[in-house]
Amino acid sequence: MKFPRSTGLPYLCLLCMMLVAAPTAVLAGEDWKPVDPADLALKEAVVEKDADAEVLTWDVHVNDNDVNDLVFNHYIRIKVFTERGREAHSRIDILYPGKAKVKDIAGRTIKPDGQIVELKKEDIFERTVVKAGGRKVKAKSFAMPGVEPGAIVEYRWREVFSSASADHLRLELQRNIPVRNVTYHIKPYSGPYASAMRAQYFNMTEAPKIVKKDGFYTMTMTNMPAFREEPRMPPEDQVRTWMLLYYTPDNKLAPERYWKEFGKRVHELVKPLMKANDEVKKAAEEAVGDATTPEQKLERIYDFCRTKIKNSSNDAAELTNAEREKLKANKSPSDTLKRGVGDGADIDLLFAAMASAIGLDARVALTAARNKIFFNPNFTDPYFLEPTSIAVRLGDGWRFFNPGYNYLPFGGLRWQEEGTMTLVTDPKEPEFVITPVTPPGRSLEKRTAKLRLDADGTLEGDVRIEYTGQAAVEIREYNDEDSPAQREETLKSRVQARLGGAELSNIRIENVTDSVKPFVYAYHVRVPGYAQRTGKRLFIQPAFFQRGVGQLFPTSTRRNDIYFNYPWSEEDYVEIQLPEGYALDNAEAPSQFGAAELSQYQPKLSVSTDGRILVYHRKFFFGGDKAKGGVATPFPASSYSQLKAYFDELHKQDNHTIAIKQGAAATATTSTAKPSN
Amino acid sequence: MFYRLVGFCCLLMALAAPAYAIGDEAPAWLKQAASSPAPSYKRDVPAVVLLKESTATVETDGRMTTVSNYVVRILTREGRGYATSVVNYDVSTDKVREMRAWLVRPDGSVRKYGKDETVDKIAASYDLYNESRQRIISAAEEAEVGSVFGYTTTTEERPTFPQTGWAFQGRVPVLVSRMTLVLPAGWQANAITFNAPRVEPTVNGTSYTWEMRSLAPIEPEEASPSIKTLAPHLAINYGPAAANTTAAATSGLTRTFEKWADVSRWYTELADPQAEPDDAIALKARELTANAKTELEKIQAIGRYVQNIQYVSIQIGIGGYRPHAATEVLAKNYGDCKDKATLMRAMLRAVKLQSYAVLIYSGDRTFVREEWVSPTQFNHCIIAVRISDETQVASVVVHPTLGRLLIFDATDDTTPVGDLPDHEQGSFALVAAGDTGALLRMPVLPPEASRNERQTEISMSPDGSITATLVERRTGQSAASLRSAFKGLSRPQFQQMVERWVNHGASGAKVSKVEPADEHTEGRFRINLEFSADRYAQSLQNRLLVFKPAIVGRSQTMTLSEPTRKHPVVLESEAYMETVRVRLPEGFDVDELPDATKLESAFGTYSATYEIKEGQLVFTRIFTQRAGVFPAEQYSAVRDFYGRIRAAEESPVVLAKK
Repeated sequence: MKFPRSTGLPYLCLLCMMLVAAPTAVLAGEDWKPVDPADLALKEAVVEKDADAEVLTWDVHVNDNDVNDLVFNHYIRIKVFTERGREAHSRIDILYPGKAKVKDIAGRTIKPDGQIVELKKEDIFERTVVKAGGRKVKAKSFAMPGVEPGAIVEYRWREVFSSASADHLRLELQRNIPVRNVTYHIKPYSGPYASAMRAQYFNMTEAPKIVKKDGFYTMTMTNMPAFREEPRMPPEDQVRTWMLLYYTPDNKLAPERYWKEFGKRVHELVKPLMKANDEVKKAAEEAVGDATTPEQKLERIYDFCRTKIKNSSNDAAELTNAEREKLKANKSPSDTLKRGVGDGADIDLLFAAMASAIGLDARVALTAARNKIFFNPNFTDPYFLEPTSIAVRLGDGWRFFNPGYNYLPFGGLRWQEEGTMTLVTDPKEPEFVITPVTPPGRSLEKRTAKLRLDADGTLEGDVRIEYTGQAAVEIREYNDEDSPAQREETLKSRVQARLGGAELSNIRIENVTDSVKPFVYAYHVRVPGYAQRTGKRLFIQPAFFQRGVGQLFPTSTRRNDIYFNYPWSEEDYVEIQLPEGYALDNAEAPSQFGAAELSQYQPKLSVSTDGRILVYHRKFFFGGDKAKGGVATPFPASSYSQLKAYFDELHKQDNHTIAIKQGAAATATTSTAKPSN
Repeated sequence: MFYRLVGFCCLLMALAAPAYAIGDEAPAWLKQAASSPAPSYKRDVPAVVLLKESTATVETDGRMTTVSNYVVRILTREGRGYATSVVNYDVSTDKVREMRAWLVRPDGSVRKYGKDETVDKIAASYDLYNESRQRIISAAEEAEVGSVFGYTTTTEERPTFPQTGWAFQGRVPVLVSRMTLVLPAGWQANAITFNAPRVEPTVNGTSYTWEMRSLAPIEPEEASPSIKTLAPHLAINYGPAAANTTAAATSGLTRTFEKWADVSRWYTELADPQAEPDDAIALKARELTANAKTELEKIQAIGRYVQNIQYVSIQIGIGGYRPHAATEVLAKNYGDCKDKATLMRAMLRAVKLQSYAVLIYSGDRTFVREEWVSPTQFNHCIIAVRISDETQVASVVVHPTLGRLLIFDATDDTTPVGDLPDHEQGSFALVAAGDTGALLRMPVLPPEASRNERQTEISMSPDGSITATLVERRTGQSAASLRSAFKGLSRPQFQQMVERWVNHGASGAKVSKVEPADEHTEGRFRINLEFSADRYAQSLQNRLLVFKPAIVGRSQTMTLSEPTRKHPVVLESEAYMETVRVRLPEGFDVDELPDATKLESAFGTYSATYEIKEGQLVFTRIFTQRAGVFPAEQYSAVRDFYGRIRAAEESPVVLAKK
């Protein structure tokens, strides 16, 4: 290993992510790189022709071979094409921590006619952006002079971070504008006890070619498109092109061997933390009670840990701040048990200890959260892994539990840890296991509405919505930090956003922090003008819960893959009592359709035998897969048009309208149904 | 970059998380305030201020030392943010002498916050450089419902003007709000009360105290006036008594203002020397106006150029009032609002047009009050150009001496010459023209000046599918809002915005053409669209086709969901007109048309008509919204007006198979 010099690595990584630019090769005082007249004459970007600006050169020297310092030399050259590009790229803020140094800033603007306007020293402002607790963040800021569309701006600076290392340093290869050429020149530490520096590349079709010169390893990427966020895309680290520098021992192990060794080491490390003493054993026996099967026993222990130990990690835990401050760190499951309080990790470890105490095989399991990255074990570094659950062997396989996270029922995991490669630690044979995905039917949004329609089009009645599974976890997280008044306000805003003019009353929100029961919204609603009147008819959308909901994919193009956090299902039951004297007029039911195991849409429309009550029943699920229970992988961008067409059709069918007519004899192709009481 | 700065600040503020000792004592004033009984409020009121008081002591040299005490009780989880103390200061003139805070928990335990928990940060992150900073102590993370947070601060400043203000409250209720001003012997103060009956001070020698008690919460409501227009506040002038000339001479107070002309004179002296054109400016101005045939064309050419200069703000000295020299602004091609105004004035002068700087408040047309003569009321600078009768545009005011003045915002690059940003229309603004300067009401442009005209041609097939062309022509502020999106978004993003807009009304629509055209100088923005949508009209039993002729929604709609409200409704000028022609599918006749709608009210007018002409359905809707502030008593009428418009626009047409 290298000398442990890094004191501010996370900080430095963050800084590197946030910096405006990270360019180049030329040390201050040296001449600027020659400007190609063709670049000056350019009228539109090369990499993406619609771009407002394009980076021509982004060049960074990273020198980690200094005894004390990590030194960056940045150089960036940008061609501006439009007013919007000028607006976005003529002001520069270089942020740095107070202990770092930023120096040798130079910049210039080359106008389209070749005239050069230099950035003057007096136009560079140094500011302490914020200082607190003895720390500072400073900034050097400047505006490039004379920028106009067609101009090229270029600037460079040097950054020195003392007592820092390039170990686990993130280097970006994409920006929010396209990049013609990005080059990193990296000089690793080569002093005593030096480890080998390696680079892990993410989201590249092929690794770049590395050239070594003057002690620097140089890698170049060309024609990098702009990075753009899109709704429902995979996590940014899974989409953006970037690389991670890290040091490892020279004798790098093959992945299988590496993770085996790593899993053993972690197991040795956590083993004492899962130790069950006599009190823990006794508590386990008492919790298990008369349960007979291993699963029943484990469920009793799970319930014990979830309900008898206060979870200090939970936002909604009934702990005052004074109580939280008095909490001592639990050093063992016995401490957690004795004090009756612990954070999520303490509770997981107590659960593991109690499970072990009744003879079950329990281990700490490590996962890379799916909302951050899709883990690939070929990258042999624990950078992304975190202990997230307890694996318990039940029958022939491992099951995963996380009682330290309050909103999960027995056997449930957060969606972020579902469908991921999870390392089960072991003294001999650690192994990767893919965690199961909750099938769509268990993450259900079940909605019921009993409504009355007036002849003027006003719809009024009672609504109840229940959430289970991942849908419940998500909505609990959305609500748990809010006051009851705020929760009601949030609900009102959500309903009114789709049903303009809706009035809500008698709002009840139940089981906000109870992981066993469904999360419930119940309210009375009045929606003036819900149905539209013409001279003879009233038109009504039976899909009350979909009225005013926009399309999922309204835009025609897509750059990134499409990603749904978890599979889900919906079930709606809507009864609408029709106004006196009205009957269906040429009504027909919306069409059902589906995509085999992946998704099905099944709407049903019927009318009571007396013709007075319209009954709409809708079932929908998405993300199902017979083999795996649920789909947790992204859909490629190339499938966007099919996916969009599917959800467009869903939207169309949800917006299906029926007509009712005063004094009409019912004409319809709906079935009859008996309304619920 | 700005968001990165903010994000970084948040990170460091989090690092200032306190590590305090338990068992601290709160000061007596805080304990006393904390024991005050408060009435019960609606459950969504987040906090109640138990005490808000400041004592400002002015020295004979003008220096002011202010001690402020503040106590707030947290009523809901959302109210925790109120457990925060913020002091604004200017590094060049002010000092924060003391800043301490305490959190009294529901169990009575006390936490003390001092220097180690204080965050010091830049106040204006967007500015390239600004000497304004903030000191912050936040107990928001530690505060829980029922906690009482209190702080005391002592600041020393050298005010630029002998004027100060006092906000008795913000949105949350206040039990006691008190401002005391202690002046040197022979000095006096007077105050104006806004948004409440006059608050008389208690005067003890040269000490003045203004106090209000039991102030109710001011709840946010849709389309409501700003909090500054609703919450009671004071504007205070002070200084040596008129007869005390010696005191006035030694006070160090640079300026006092009796009337608006005084402010005009002061600012003119500050700004005019900066607006001197040099050869480079004159050359540029001549180059820009070479093809201009009229006075208006000259103003347009120069105005467009200046609006396109990069906005960069560098605030140093004299409260950020003095603009940079026009010569410098031209050379660097960047500047802030007053720099842009200055450069434009210099260029206009070079082509023999007279103009004046105009100080205004950007963002709230009701902010500036005529009764209080003070430059501190302004946060923005625009310009007034003296024009002849030959120039006929809407954004003109008439000054009693200077005559016709064209008002123009050289910073708002979406609003061309002849128009004015809607938040500036109707505001008071100071025309800085030396002794003849005056506070004038800015022009209010009629609804027709901000108009959206749309023509939609639709061809419908027997299965209800449509192909459509849409041409939208916008003028005035309606054009400015679309122009703003066009300028702010990349081309693909703009395309996607349009797709979302069309798809909102026509599910699954495919937009095949988006052709925007920014006719900036003329104040127009045009957009041509072509799109198609499968089965837009819904088929019923293969016999009827049902569809809404208002396919593409208007961009602005008022919802007003709450059944009652407390505050007036603020409406902006807007005019909208659309004609939709639907070529009916072969084999279908109209079975039913919605009833025509005609609404007339004090807030505006609306009409929707339907007729069949030569195999086409012609749907027309015309909407005019009048700018105004309508009292809460008229709310149900306003709500009904918009509810009826919404219903009319949702109404379907029914076609039947022949």
